[in-house]
Amino acid sequence: MKKICTLTATVLLASSMAFGGSFQLNLQGIRQTAMGGTGVAWPWDASTIFFNPGGLSRLSGIQAYGSVNIVTPNVKYVQTPTGGYSASSNTHTTTPFAVYVGGPIRKGSKIGVGLGIYTPFGNKLDWGNTWTGRYVVESISLQSFFFQPTVSYAINDMISVGAGFVYARGTVDIEKAIPVQDINGNDGQAKLKGNANGFGFNVGVQIKATEDLQFGVSYRSKVKMDVNGGDATFTVPASLAGNFPNTTFDSKLPLPEILTVGLGYKFTSDLMVQADVVLAGWKTYDSLSFDFAENKSVQDTHDPRSYKNTVAFRLGAHYQIDNQFAIMAGGAYDPTPTRDNLLSPDAVDGNRLTLSCGATYQPLPRLSIMAALNYTTTPKRNTSYDPAGMQGAYQVKSLLPAIGVSYTF
Amino acid sequence: MKKSYLLIAASAALLTFSCKSKIDPEMPSAGQADFSTYVAIGNSLTAGFADGSLYRSGQENSYPNMLAGQFKLVGGGDFRQPLLPGESGWPIAPAAGRFPKRVLDIVVDCKGVASLGPKLYSGLPDTAGSAVNIAAGGPYNNVGIPGIRCIDYDVAGYGMANPYAGRFFSSPMQRPLEAALQPVPTFFTMWLGSNDVLGYATAGGEGANGGIGLSDISPLPVFTATYNKVVESLVNSGRSPKGALINIPDVTAIPYFTTINPKGLVLDATQAAQLSALYAPLGISFTEGPNYFIIEDSTAPGLRRQIKPGEYILITTPGDSLKCGGWGSAKPIPERFVLDAAEVNNVKVATAAFNQVIADNANRHGLALVDANTYLKSLQSGITWNGVTYTPAFVTGGAFSLDGIHLTPRGYALVANEIIRMINQTYQASIPNVDVNKYGGVRFP
Repeated sequence: MKKICTLTATVLLASSMAFGGSFQLNLQGIRQTAMGGTGVAWPWDASTIFFNPGGLSRLSGIQAYGSVNIVTPNVKYVQTPTGGYSASSNTHTTTPFAVYVGGPIRKGSKIGVGLGIYTPFGNKLDWGNTWTGRYVVESISLQSFFFQPTVSYAINDMISVGAGFVYARGTVDIEKAIPVQDINGNDGQAKLKGNANGFGFNVGVQIKATEDLQFGVSYRSKVKMDVNGGDATFTVPASLAGNFPNTTFDSKLPLPEILTVGLGYKFTSDLMVQADVVLAGWKTYDSLSFDFAENKSVQDTHDPRSYKNTVAFRLGAHYQIDNQFAIMAGGAYDPTPTRDNLLSPDAVDGNRLTLSCGATYQPLPRLSIMAALNYTTTPKRNTSYDPAGMQGAYQVKSLLPAIGVSYTF
Repeated sequence: MKKSYLLIAASAALLTFSCKSKIDPEMPSAGQADFSTYVAIGNSLTAGFADGSLYRSGQENSYPNMLAGQFKLVGGGDFRQPLLPGESGWPIAPAAGRFPKRVLDIVVDCKGVASLGPKLYSGLPDTAGSAVNIAAGGPYNNVGIPGIRCIDYDVAGYGMANPYAGRFFSSPMQRPLEAALQPVPTFFTMWLGSNDVLGYATAGGEGANGGIGLSDISPLPVFTATYNKVVESLVNSGRSPKGALINIPDVTAIPYFTTINPKGLVLDATQAAQLSALYAPLGISFTEGPNYFIIEDSTAPGLRRQIKPGEYILITTPGDSLKCGGWGSAKPIPERFVLDAAEVNNVKVATAAFNQVIADNANRHGLALVDANTYLKSLQSGITWNGVTYTPAFVTGGAFSLDGIHLTPRGYALVANEIIRMINQTYQASIPNVDVNKYGGVRFP
C-alpha cells in the first residue's frame, strides 16, 4: 500500500532538443538570404567560406564580412481532433550572426585562406509553463557556433576548390514540467543545461564554365554534437526530492550532412539568376536520447524522431541597378524532415515556403552595406507526437530582417 | 535609384503580412444533440467524490462539470451542482465509517519506517452548513449521489437514508429519478450501477450474490427493471433528451484491489523454515523470498490457505497488521479483507450482466454508449495524454485518488474525454476535448 518509494510513473518523458528542420538556419550570408538561400555557384563575398569554400580564392582581395539576423518565429498550436485549445509560443528574438575574414592571400594569388564563424543551427522556442504540452517542453534554447578555418585553391581559371575544418560548439537549455504536483498544485520542474562539442568539415568546388555560367557543389559533413556532463536540475515536492536528485546527463545531437549543387547564369551584365538544390541528410536524426548519471525516478529517455532526408529547392535573382545599388529576390521550398506522427512541440516544423528580397549599397567600391528580408511560413499541419500522446495542428511563421557589412582590403 | 524605392515598397508590403500565425480551431458543433440543459445522473464518480470523501473542489472537478464546460461551447447552459461549503470532506462520522478526505503525507509504520502514504486529513473540519438542505438553490444538474445504486433510483424516501441525497432533494420522499427529471434535461449522462457490485467487493465479498443489502450484489432482475425504467423515463421526459450511458468498470482492476501484492509475504530463510514447520500439518510450505499470503477460508482445512493468483487483498487491510501483527503468515488475513476466486467471479459475472443491460438500453434508445470498463482497463498498459502517462498504480499512477476507487481530477478529465468522443461519434457533434493537464493529479507534500 505504501510502496511508492519508486515513482516510476513520473519518468521524464524524453525531452527533445531537436536540431529539426526548422532549426537549420539558412542565414549565413545577406545576399544569399535575399536570394532564397542560393549561393553555392557564385562567390559573392567572403560568406562563400560557408556556402562554397571553393569560391574563396576567387575573391578580389581579403575581405572582412559581418552580418546579423533578427529571428522572431511565431508558432501556434491548436489541439486536434476537436480544437478547443490553442496556444502561441512566446516571442523571443535571437540574433544568429556570421563573421568571415578571408580571400586570396595577395592580389592575383591562386591561394585563398579565411576563417568563418557562423550559426547554422539554432532555435529558441518558449511555450510558457502553463500550456498543455508543458510536460513535453516549456522552453528550449539551442545555440551553435561553427568555427571554420578554410583554404581554397584556384586550380586554373575554370576550377577552384576549397576545404574548411569545422569546430562546433553549442549550448542547449531545456525546461519542462514534471507531472508531480505539490500541495498547491504546482508542477515539478526539470532543467537540462549543457554544452556540446563537435567536429566536421566543409568542402566545395566552383566551376566557371563561361564568363556567364558557373556551377558549384559543396558538401558539409555531419557534425555530431556531444553533450557530456550537462546539468540536470529538478525541482519537486520535498517528499520526492530523494527520488529526483540533481544529476548530470549525456546526449548526442547529430547535425546532418548537407550536399548542395547549384548554378548561376548571367542573363545580362546586370541580371543574374542562380538556383540550388540542397540535399540534407536528416535521416541521421533517428532518435533523441538522454542518459542521466543517476537514475531514480528519472529514467534514461529514448525518443524516436525518425527524420527523413530532404531535398530543398532554392531560386534567386540579383539585379545590379548601378555602381552603387543592387537588389535581390528569391524563394525556396524546404520540405520538412519530420514525420507527421513524431512532431514534438519542441521542434515544430512543416514544409517551409520562403520568400525573400534584399538590397546592397556600395558607398565606396570596397564597402558594401547589405540588407535582406526573409518571410517563411508553413501550411497548417495536423500532426501528433505519439510518444507523448499529443495531437495538434501547428503553423510556423517568421519575418526575418538581416543586415550586414563587408569591406575588402 | 527608383528601383530601390520599389524595393522598399515591396519590403513594406511584405512586412504588412502578419508574422503571427493565424490558424484557428474549427468551430465546435453540437451535432444532433441539444446541450442547453444537461443533467448528470450517477453515483460518487459523478458527484466528484475523491480521496475517500466528497469536498467542494472535488465537486468542482467532477467530470460532469468538465463536460458542462465543454458543452457551453456548443450551446450548453448553466450547470448547477449541489456544492458543499468546505474542503475537509463530509460527512465526518467515524463511528459510521465516514472519514474526512485523505491526503498524502509521510507515514511511519510499526517498524519505524517512514514512507509516503495516504493519511486522514487532520486539519479543522470546515463542514459547517453542509447538512443544510439546499433544494431552494436547485434544481441541480449534477444529481450524482455518492453511494447510490441503480436499484435505489426509484425508491421514495431515499434522501432520508443518504445524506448526500437528502441535502439537495426537494422533499424527504422525493425519488432520485424525480430529482434527475426536475431540471427537464435536453441531454443527460448516466453512470449508474457501479455500487450494485462495488459494495459487495469492498466488503470482501461477504454479502449475498443477488440481494438488496449494501454489501450484496444487486439482483439482476431488479437492476434491469430499474435501469430500464430510469432510461425510459428520461428519454420520454418533457424535452425528449438525448444522452450517453456509461457502463460499469470492472472493479477488480482498480487500486483498491490491486495495490497489495498477494505474493507480498517476503521471508528470510529462518522465517520461511519456521512458517513451513507451523503449516506442515496443512501441507503448506514457504520459501525464502516472496510467498503468497495466508488468508482465512471457511472451506479450507484449518480454515486457512494461501491466497492464489487472481484473488485480491483489499487496500483497507491494516498495513501494520501485515507488517508486525503476523497477518498473512502466522495469522490468516480475515475474509472481509479478501476477494477470493469465487467472489471475483461473482463480481465479473454481475458486471458483465449489468453492462449488457446498459448496452441494450443504449441500443434500444439510440443513446451513446461509453465503454468505461474497456477504457479504464486500457490504463493497465498506460494512457498517455500530452506528455503524462497514467496507470492504475496507487498514488504514482496519477489516475486514481487516494481512496483507490475514485479518480483524480485528471483521471476524471480522461473519462470526460472518452465520453465526449462517444457523444461526438453518436451525435455527429464536434465538442472539443477537455485539457486534461489543466486539472490536478495527486498532490505531494
